[in-house]
Formats: sequence, structure tokens, C-alpha cells
Amino acid sequence: MKRAPDRGWPSTIIGIGLVAVMMFPVYWMVNASLQPAGNTLQGGWFPLHPDFSGYATALRDQGRNIVTSLVVALGSVALSLGLAAPAAYALAHSPVRGTNLVLFGVLITQMVPGIVVANALYSAYNDLGLLNSYLGLILADSTAAVPFAIIIMRAFMQSIPREIIEAARVDGAGRLRVFRSVVLPVSRNALVTAAVFTFLFTWSDFLFALTLTTTNTVRPITLGIYEYMGAHTNQWNAVMATAVLASIPAAVLLAVAQRYFAFGATSGAVK
Amino acid sequence: MRSGSRPVPDRCPTLRVDTGAEDGAVAAGAPVTGAAEEDDKHRKDRALIRARRWERLAQWMFIVPAAAYLLLFFGYPIAKNLVMSFQQYTTTTFYTGSAPFAGLQNYSKVLSSDLFPKALLTTVLFTAGSVFGQFVLGLAFALFFQRRFPLGRVLRGLLLLPWLLPLVVSGTTWKWMLDPDTGVVNNALRGLHLSSSGIPWLTGTSQALASVILVNIWVGIPFNATILYGGLQDIPAHLHEAAKLDGAGPVASFRHVTWPLLRPVVGVVLVLGVVYTVKVLDVILVVTGGGPANATETIATQSYELSFQQFEFGRGAAMSNVLVVISLAFALVYLRANRRARNVWEAVA
Amino acid sequence: MISSAMPRAQRIAACLRVGSVALLLAVTGCGGKTGPGSATGKVTSITVLDYYTDDPEHTQWGDLLTACGKTAGVTVEQTSVPGASLVPKVLQQASSRTLPDLLMLDNPDLQRIAQTGALTPLGQYGIDSSGFAKGILSAGTYEGKVYGLAPDVSTIALFYNKDMLAESGVDVPRTWAELQAAAAELTRPGRYGMAVDANATFEGTWQFLPFLWSNGGDESQLDTPQAAQALQLWVDLVKSGSMSKSVLNWTQADVHDQFVAGRTAMMINGPWRIPALNEDKNLHWGVATIPVPQAGQTPVTPLGGEVWTVPQNNSKARQEKAAQVLACLNDSTNMLTLAEQHFTVPSRPAAAAQYAEQVPSMAAFVESVEAARARTSRLGVKWPEAATGIYTAVQSALTGEQTPQEALKHAQRIATGS
Repeated sequence: MKRAPDRGWPSTIIGIGLVAVMMFPVYWMVNASLQPAGNTLQGGWFPLHPDFSGYATALRDQGRNIVTSLVVALGSVALSLGLAAPAAYALAHSPVRGTNLVLFGVLITQMVPGIVVANALYSAYNDLGLLNSYLGLILADSTAAVPFAIIIMRAFMQSIPREIIEAARVDGAGRLRVFRSVVLPVSRNALVTAAVFTFLFTWSDFLFALTLTTTNTVRPITLGIYEYMGAHTNQWNAVMATAVLASIPAAVLLAVAQRYFAFGATSGAVK
Repeated sequence: MRSGSRPVPDRCPTLRVDTGAEDGAVAAGAPVTGAAEEDDKHRKDRALIRARRWERLAQWMFIVPAAAYLLLFFGYPIAKNLVMSFQQYTTTTFYTGSAPFAGLQNYSKVLSSDLFPKALLTTVLFTAGSVFGQFVLGLAFALFFQRRFPLGRVLRGLLLLPWLLPLVVSGTTWKWMLDPDTGVVNNALRGLHLSSSGIPWLTGTSQALASVILVNIWVGIPFNATILYGGLQDIPAHLHEAAKLDGAGPVASFRHVTWPLLRPVVGVVLVLGVVYTVKVLDVILVVTGGGPANATETIATQSYELSFQQFEFGRGAAMSNVLVVISLAFALVYLRANRRARNVWEAVA
Repeated sequence: MISSAMPRAQRIAACLRVGSVALLLAVTGCGGKTGPGSATGKVTSITVLDYYTDDPEHTQWGDLLTACGKTAGVTVEQTSVPGASLVPKVLQQASSRTLPDLLMLDNPDLQRIAQTGALTPLGQYGIDSSGFAKGILSAGTYEGKVYGLAPDVSTIALFYNKDMLAESGVDVPRTWAELQAAAAELTRPGRYGMAVDANATFEGTWQFLPFLWSNGGDESQLDTPQAAQALQLWVDLVKSGSMSKSVLNWTQADVHDQFVAGRTAMMINGPWRIPALNEDKNLHWGVATIPVPQAGQTPVTPLGGEVWTVPQNNSKARQEKAAQVLACLNDSTNMLTLAEQHFTVPSRPAAAAQYAEQVPSMAAFVESVEAARARTSRLGVKWPEAATGIYTAVQSALTGEQTPQEALKHAQRIATGS
């Protein structure tokens, strides 16, 4: 269906203006990261003489934390999808009793503040030796992702025609095989959406990084920036360079996977 | 069926928003398939029924890992938090492991502290201000990007970035931009002669609260805009055309066509907005750290401080339980009051 | 990690406490993991935990620890965590029974940790604690027993930019009135006269103490006129524009950066900043004792410094070795070395006097440290509550939410937990 006549460039100009205002902090972050060390207490409006020493410092001090975040985020993607995909499939395609209960439970999780989870996990982790561990962070960070992934993937899988599944069943495929070789390939888009969001949730996590790590052995980049900010105020360029580095995954994913974001958002429950 | 400007490929099933006409249809979705299966079953022989029973068990095996995880990482913390809120934790607890039962002492201490009414008020102001600002601006953006114009898609995509950046990153940037002495915002205000001394964004008590609300609005606009945009796309264009033929201007068309049809989506956006904003912690911790003079201290930041700064895990747990109750109460009251919204909520799930 | 030092029943109990977390148990294996305390044979190495993360401090301490280890016949494994995470880390280790053999603590934290039972009295290793300055000894003492000793101590003082003072023709302020006048005189567009850390943390409290104490104020009774006058001084400095309102958010590190960037002419800070200040060749700075209310008074400043302790563990042999290293760190020669390296003051008055002669620029600090007071000397384990009350009052007064009197009344309520 055709919409009212397209608007032209005037709208584009307004649009650019709006986006420029919204994007200003991002610009300012990049600008600050390119200023020479020290004088960024009052940096210029434009990085006329870009200085990359901030990035060198950032990579030296925070490189390891970036790797930590990467490990935790990827681990969390694997765990979340591994848990959520089968569950979403079962919830979408089997009217077993208790389905509603599980769904209700998933909804309730959205109302639980992270601090509640962190509070209790701290003492449990302390007893189990999971503080300051990759596994501990992956498990905790997935709390934001698993319910979300279930919601998104279930919504998608409900739309898979029963006939496709039935046909595979008639051909003698077991439930697991149907799931693996029919449902998963068809659900690629939903899987990617869930994976992208899980990655970003985990990458951005601050609360669990702050509460469940106490040393610098396993320290995600978000916490790295937070502590950097307190200790190196005379090196704002390095702090901001770290911030830019920490933004790269979001920017890259936005560039290559934009459509998945809209899908994820319209499917609800996102932070 | 959709204009090419939709970011969602048609292969993806976009969730249709219940516009009221088919009230209940979505919620009834599950039982309908159930009935279909019943029919199915009668046509098959008994052996198949037995196979189905086995299958159901197998079906559950798909759910069990996720359910177990959710129980462990939500159910257990909720229960543990409840228990902890009745115990007295001190630093000694860490060495001896003993946290004696303290009855309602944690709750009475937390609720009667000078800080509680203040933090509660701040939480309400922060939530109301953030949700309102995000919604109004998000709707404005969504309506604007309804238009089709050159570069529209690209710009809409860029708009998502604030939402996708780690909050620590955007918070750090904002904190630096808002610095009263050296920040770019005050420099610009001074340069434009709008304010001679600049605004104490982070050092004035009411200004600091305004600042964190501002930052949180900035973070939330893309999410609101995206959902509302999706809702707007689902309103059939011919309704607008019909309104136009009846002589309705853009304002009348918005009031009588767009708004009523968008209401259910609005409900979802607002409920989600409140539920997510009430528990915001990172923005406040990074931008103001709860200060100055506790002006930006909310229930969530209080809970964090009690547990992880003062090691009063019992009182921290009591405080966070207050937060859970607020959040649950709001969601339940809203859902009861608005059945239609509930259908959408379920559709969304 | 649950150490094998833990009795079996206790270990099972720890597992049961998180009984519902069965899956986790399967993942991590709630079994016995050998802790550092299990060694029973000859002790060849000990573990050390401190918060000296930054170089050159980290290396300097590492070298000294290694040298002291050698005299005790052990190698030393040093771990450094950031200051803010030291106490959480120690509490976590206390509950999992994985405390290091030798532990450094910031002196106001000692009593709190000793109260948990995680530390051992140093008397049992025959360590002689005589000859130490009274202040630091009281900070290391809990219920009459010495648990921790600090080789060197420090306090805060007034740092000033010599060029700026000379340019404005201002003398180094000695009294509060002079401080206010000088700060006002030194303020220019883009520059403040004075900077302090009025952060809502214990660090903010620490910076306010010299003003509170020098005026006869006391943490055990905060709602007094003396305390209100001290707070009024800070309020006036901000109100008159001589001090940025951002002091509300500044840490000591921020204050230092403002000073180095030339955005403030004077600041309150500690001697540990001196190496960094010396790095900037264009910065000509001086240091003086913190101004007092009336001419002729002696400033009372808070005592800074880290105490070394020997935590509980099941190996007597390891504890003995750790105690030997601790004693070595605290001998007079090493004290002097440390003091010279970090611009601190030896904690034995005898060594300090010798030091003041050798390093005259440190005389201001040696003098202040003699009168310095430990933060826990009055209230002991109750100190954190009072400290919270103090920084809360400073914040309320500087934002203008409350008058100093109201703010301190409130602070007193926080301090007494009512």
C-alpha cells in the first residue's frame, strides 16, 4: 500500500538535525578521545590535531578487560541461546500444561531488579568460589538475556507452520532432530536477534561486574571504565578512548544487523 | 503488505498489536492450537497416543534446563533475599558465617531512616520524569520518522545508538559534558551568554536530579521511538486517508485515529518504561553516584550502597524487597486496570 | 573456594547453605580445594595482600617484601588490589578461609576486621611494639591487643602553587581567616583559590577532619559549635566562589589533577602525591601545615598509614614466617627507606626525628604527624557510622540543603544509629 506522497529534503534536514542532537554525546566522546593527554579538561570543539596516544594508553591499561568482556559476552550468548532456544520451541509448539506458568515466570523476571539477584548471588558465589570468575559472570549476566531470548524466539517459532514440523516427524525424525535440522535453521533470524541482544546486554553489564568481582583478574570493560574514571582524571583522552573502544561492538552490530534491533524492540521486553 | 521502509523483513513475524477489535484473540492462541491437537489425536491410532505421551515428556526436557536456570537465578535470589532481609549481617558474618535472625528489624530500620522518604520521592520523580520524557520525545521521533524522505532509514538506524551503548560509557560521557566548571554544556551556555556562571548540573541538588533524568531520557528515547514506530506502522493507512477525506487536519487525525489505535502499544511502552526505570542503577551511579547530599539516591542505589558499601546485606535485602514490591504492585495494578493492555502484554510475550 | 582447613562438617554446611543451587554445585564442585594454609612441612613461601597497585609503589614494596622474606628464609607472593576493593576482598577471603599469610590494611579498617576474629594478636609472635608513636599504635590495637603495625605514617597538608602566591603577593595562610583571604585573592576566571575533597565517601571525611579537630570538634559529639564553625569555613569558601562547588564530587585524585592543571592555587592533599607533583617541571609547589582557627594553635590532623597484620590460619609455621617479615618491615632502617621513598614519616618518633634532619622538606609532615590522631581512637569499631555522618553533613551543608548546624545534628543521628 502506498503512503501519502513522500516528503523531500526538508525532512531530511530536520532529521539530520534531530539525529545530530541525539548523537552529540557520541561525537563528544570520540572528540575527547582524540585530544592530547592532560588538556582535555577543556578540549576543543574539533579534534583538529588528532592524537592517538589516548588509545595507546587505553589499550595498554584496558586491553585485557576488553578481552574479558568479550569472553563473558560470547559465553553468555552461547549459554543463553542454548537454554532459551529449546525452551522457546517447546513453549511455542506444545500446549503442555504449565506453559502459562513458565511464561508468567518469564514475565515476572522482568520485574526483579538486578540488585536483588546481585545481593543473593554475592553470598552464594562467595560460598561457591564463583566470585571473580568468568563462569560466575556468564551465569549472572545471562539473567537479563535468557528471559528476553525466550520471549523473542517463542514469538518467532509460533509462526513456524506446524506442517513443516509434522512433515519431518512423518519422515521419522526424532524430536531433537526436528529441532536441530528444521526449527533452528528456519529460526535463524530470531536466533541472530537474540544473540545480538544477549551480546549487547552482557557487554554493557555493569551491575554484576561491580558486585560479583572484587579483584582485577576478571574485570569487564564497563567496570574498567568506571574505575579508570576515578583514578585517571588527568587522562580524559584515555578514559574516553576506552569508552569509544567499549562502544565499538554496538556500532558494528548496528551497522551490520540493524533490522534485528527493530525486531527485538517491537517484540517487547528490552531494557 | 508493508512499505519497504520497515526495517523488519517480512520473513520475521512482527508481533501484531491487538487493536481491540480482536480482543482476546491472541491470548486465546494457545488453547486454539491445543484444541487442534485434540482433534488431531482422535484421528490417529492408540499407539500414536502413547507416542505422544512420551513426546510430551520429551517436550518438557526442552524446557527444564531453562526453567531450572530461571529458578536458580531468579527464584533462588528472590527467596534468599527474603531470608536475608530477616537476618542481621555484619562484617563479622563474613568470618563466622553466622547471621542471626533479626525479625523485622531490618525493615523497620530501613523504612524509618531519614533517607527512605527522600529516596522514595526521588525514585518516583526519577521514574515519572524519565518515562514521561522518553515517551513524549520517543513518540515525536516515531511520528517524524513515519515520513518517508531521503536518508530516513539511515538516520532512524543511527538513532538507535544511544540505546545500544553501554550505560557506563554514555554515563561517563554525560558526566564529563555536564561538569559545571569545564563541561561542554556550560561552556556552550556561557558562550551563548545564556548563563554567566553556568548551571550546577552535578553539584546542585535539584539540578543533579534533573541531570540524571535528562541522561536517562536520552538513553530511553530510541527504545520508545522504535516500539511506537512499530505500532504506528500497524495502523492501516487508509484510516488516515479516510480521516483526511472527512476534512480532518493532522492534529485531528492524530487525536481521533492514531492515538486511539496506538493506545495499547502506549500501555506496553509505559508499563515497561516504569518497570525498567524503577530499578535503574548504573546511570545514577556513574553520573552522580547518588549525590550531591543524597539528592539522586533512589531505592535501588540505596540498596546497592547498604549491601556493597556498608556490607549491611540484611538491610540492603530489605531495601531491594521494597523495590520489588513497588515494581510488582505497579505492574499488577496496571494490568488489572487495563485488560486490553494485558492482552498486548501477553501477545508481546 | 572452600579450603581444606575448614572442618568437614562446616564445609558441608557451607554447601548446604546454598543447597538449592544444586546445579552450580555440579558445575563448580563443592569439594575441598587446597588452601594456602594446608602446608605442614617446611614453609618456603608466604602470600601477601596489599593495595599498592600503582608503580613505583608496587615495585618498591615488592622489593622490600622480597628482601625481608629473604631474611626469614621465604619467598613472597605479593598480590595488590585497588584500595576500594581491599576490604570486600578481605571479607570474602575471611568467609572462604583463604586469607593471605601477611595482610596490609588501611589503619581505620583494622579494628573492624580484628573484631571479626580474622586476625591474630602480634604479641603471640614476640613482636615488640614499643617505641611506636601513640597514634598509630592505637589504630593497630583492638581490645587491648596489638594486631597491626605500620612502618610509616602520613597525614594531609596544604599544598600551594608558589608562582600563583607570588604573583598575587599572598603569603602562605596560617589561620582560617588568612586561608579565606588568600583563597579569595588567588581566585581568577578559570581558576579557584582552594580545593578540597568533599566527596560523599570516607575520603571526604578524612579531609574534613583537620578542620573539625583543630577547632576542638570531636567525632563522638558532632552537633557542637566547634564542628559547625569548621563546616561553616568550607561553606564560606564555596559560597564566596573561592572554592568550586564541584568539590562535592572530587576525589583526592581529582583535587590533585586540578592543582596540576593550574585550576586551583591551593589544595589539601597527602605526601603520596609528591612524586607525581615533582614530575611536572613547570609546577613550583610548596607544602605547609593545614591552617588553624587561631594563630599559634597546633593543627590536629588524621593519621594515615597502612598497618600490617597476620591473619588467622591453621599453619603456625606460616604465621611465624609472616610475623618475621612483618617485624622486618617495621625495623627502623626499613622505616626510613620507606619514608624516603614515599614521602611519609617513620612511625617511631626516634626514627622520625632523624628523618626530619635528613629531609628538611618533610619537616611540615613530621610535625603534623606527631599530633596526628587515629580515626578509630575515639570510637573504635563505631567509626564508620560517624564517618558516614560527617561526609553526609559536609554534602548537605555545601549544597545549601541544610545549615551547618542542621547538617551536623543530622550527622550525629547517623553516627549514633538513631
